Amino acid sequence: MRRLFGVLLAAVVLFAVVSSGCISPGGGEKVTVTFLSTQLNPPEERAFVQDELLKGFTDETGIEVNFVPISYTDMVTRLEGEMQTGKVTIDLIGDLHGGMDYMASKGWLEDLGGMPKLEGRTFINTFERYAHIRGQKVYIPWMSATYVMVVNKEAFKYLPEGLTEEDVMKGTDKWTYDALLQWAKNLKEAKGQPELGFPAGPKGLFVRFLHGYIYPSYTGYQAKEFDSPEAVEMWNYLKELWPYVHPSSTTWDAMADPLLKGEVLIAWDHTARIKNAIETKPDQFVVVPVPRGPKGRGFIVVLAGLAIPKGAPHKDQAWKLIDYLTKPETQVKVLEKVGFFPTVEEASGKLPEGPLKILAKGVQAQASTQDALVVMIPNLGDKGGQFKEYYKQAFERIVLNNEDPATVTKEIKPDLIKLFEEVGVPVP
Amino acid sequence: MERRSLVPYLLILPAFLYLLFFVGYPLVQALYLAFTQNGAFSLEVWRRTFSDYYFWSAFKYTILLAGVIVPTQVALAVVLALLMNRVFKGKDAALYALIIPLTISDVAAGLIWYSMLSPYGFINKLLMNLGVISQPLYFFGYEYRMREFFAIVIAELWRSTAIVFVIILAGLQMISKEYIEAAEVFGANYWTRLRRIVLPLLKPSIQSALIIRTLFAMQIFGIVWILAGRDIPVLAGEGYYQLTEIKDAGVASVYALVIAALSILLGALYIKFLRAEYLEVGE
Repeated sequence: MRRLFGVLLAAVVLFAVVSSGCISPGGGEKVTVTFLSTQLNPPEERAFVQDELLKGFTDETGIEVNFVPISYTDMVTRLEGEMQTGKVTIDLIGDLHGGMDYMASKGWLEDLGGMPKLEGRTFINTFERYAHIRGQKVYIPWMSATYVMVVNKEAFKYLPEGLTEEDVMKGTDKWTYDALLQWAKNLKEAKGQPELGFPAGPKGLFVRFLHGYIYPSYTGYQAKEFDSPEAVEMWNYLKELWPYVHPSSTTWDAMADPLLKGEVLIAWDHTARIKNAIETKPDQFVVVPVPRGPKGRGFIVVLAGLAIPKGAPHKDQAWKLIDYLTKPETQVKVLEKVGFFPTVEEASGKLPEGPLKILAKGVQAQASTQDALVVMIPNLGDKGGQFKEYYKQAFERIVLNNEDPATVTKEIKPDLIKLFEEVGVPVP
Repeated sequence: MERRSLVPYLLILPAFLYLLFFVGYPLVQALYLAFTQNGAFSLEVWRRTFSDYYFWSAFKYTILLAGVIVPTQVALAVVLALLMNRVFKGKDAALYALIIPLTISDVAAGLIWYSMLSPYGFINKLLMNLGVISQPLYFFGYEYRMREFFAIVIAELWRSTAIVFVIILAGLQMISKEYIEAAEVFGANYWTRLRRIVLPLLKPSIQSALIIRTLFAMQIFGIVWILAGRDIPVLAGEGYYQLTEIKDAGVASVYALVIAALSILLGALYIKFLRAEYLEVGE
C-alpha cells in the first residue's frame, strides 16, 4: 500500500513539473501564435506558408505559428463562438477586405491604430484607406490581387488608328472599350479568326469582368444601375464585341493556356491565372491596364488583410508576425511563390527583372490610372455564388441567346437587389 | 431455438447497416434539404429549382443525350459482339483494344477527346494537313453547341460502349450452339438465325446492358463538364454547380432527387416491358 502511494506521489510530482513547463527543452516559455487564414489555402500554397514563410519567422523570433487554413464561414462561426464565451484562442486573422469589414462591424477586431509603427515600409495609399473602417484601423493590408489584360506583343501590329502602344501600356484616355472593339475587329480581319479571349467557362472568372469591370465602367456601379439605360448600352456593346471574341471562350476557365498556345492574342483574367503564360514566355507578353468606359476605368482589387481579434492571447507576438509578413522582402517572396501582389511600395524595388516585374508593372499601371474606379467584390458570404449566377445568366441570355437587354436586366434586377437586402449589405 | 432464428438477421445486419449509413442517411438528408425551408416543411426549394434558368434545358439535354447515346451504343455493341464471337486471327488483341476505354475514367476520357478536338488538336491538324480544311474547326463554345453535343456523343460512345459490349458478348457466348446448328439443318440463313434465335436469346443481356447504361446516362456529368462546360447543361452537372458554386444545397438535392426519380422510373419501365418476353424465352 505504501509503495503504491509512493509511486502515485512520484507520478503526480513528475506530471506537475512537466506540465508547468519548468523543464521544457528550450528553456524559456514557448509561444504559439494561432493564425487563421481564408487565404493561401490550396495545398501547394499551404506547404509554402508552413515550410518556408512561417519557418523563416520562427527562426527569426523563436515564436511558433499554428497556421490554420479555414473557410470564411467556418472562421466567422468560430470567432463568434469564441467572442460569446469570452475564451479567445485566435491570435491573428488573414482574410479579404469584405470579411474584415463584417467582423469589424460586429466589434470583434482590435483597433490597430495604437500599435507600434511598422518600420521601413509605406503601404499603398488606396489600401491604407480601405483598412480604416468607421474611424478605426481594422487591419493591416497584407496581399492584393487583381484582374488585368494580357497582350501578346504581336497584337500591337494591328492597333486601331489613333491608339498607340503607349496608350494601352499606360492606360490613357484613348484606351477605351470602343478602341478595344476596333482592335478586336482588326485582329479578326487580319488573322481570320477572333483573337480576343475571356475565361467564360463554368469555373472561369469572366463574371468578375461583368460586375467589376464593364458594369462600373459604363454605369458607375456594380449592381445599383443593373437595368439603367447605360447598362443596356453596355450590353449592346458586349453583343457587338462578342463576334470578335474567341468562340471557345465559354469553355475556358483560365487564360494562360490559350495565350501560350497562341489561340488568342489578347486576354483578360486574374493575375494568378495568367502568371504561367508570362513566366513561360516573358518576351512575348505584356500586362496592361483594362480599357475605360464612359464612367471611368472600373477594376477589381482583391485586398487581403491581417487583423487581431479582441482578447487575443498573444497580441504582441501576433503583431510581430504582422511585422514579418508585411516586410518588403517577405512580400516579394509571396509574390514569387503564390502570385499575390505586395501592399507596400518598397516591395516593387526589390523585384528581380523578368516575368514578375512585367506582371507587377502592369498591375501598378492599372492601379495608378487617373480614372481608376476601384471595385471591391461584395461580401455576400454563401450568397456570393448566387450573385455571380445572376450576371452569368444575364450574359447568357443577352449576348449568347440574343434576348433584349432591357427586358432581361429588368427581370433579374429585383432578385439581385434582394440578395443584398437578405445579407444586409449595401448595394454597390 | 430462439437464438437460431436470429442468425439470418445477424448475417444481413452488416449489409443493412452499410446501406443505412451510406444510402439511407444521405437520402434522408437530401429529402430534408429539398422539402424544408428554415426548418419547416416547404416547397420553396422545388419552386426555386423549377424556375431556375437552367433546369428545363438540363432536363432536356440529359434525356436527349441518353436518347442518342444509349441506343447507338447498344446497336454498336451488338454488332461488335457478333463480330468478335467468331474465331479469327488476332481476336485477343482486338478484344483488348475494344476494352481499353473501360479502364479510363470519364473525366480522363473527356480530356483526351478535348485535346484531340481542340482547334490545335490532333483531328484539326490531321484535316489541315490533308488539305480538307484551311482554318481549324471549332468544336467547343456556345455557338457550336451542336458540335459539342456531337463531341460528347463520340467521347461517350468511345468510353462506355465497352461495358455494353462485354455484357452482350457474355450473353452471346452462353447461347447453345445446338439451336443454331438445328436451324442450319432446317435451312435458316444467317439473318433468319439472327432474328429468330440469337437476338431473342440475347434479350436478357441486352436488357441488363440497357438498364445499366440508361441509369448511368441519367448521371452523365464528367464528360459533359470537360467538353462543353455549362454550354450544354445536364442534371448532374447542375446539381454539382448548385452545390459548389452557388452554394444552394437545397436546389442541389432537388437535382439529385430528380435524377433518382428518373432512374427509378426508367428502370421500372424497362423491367415492365422487357421482362415478360424474357420469361417466355426462358421457359
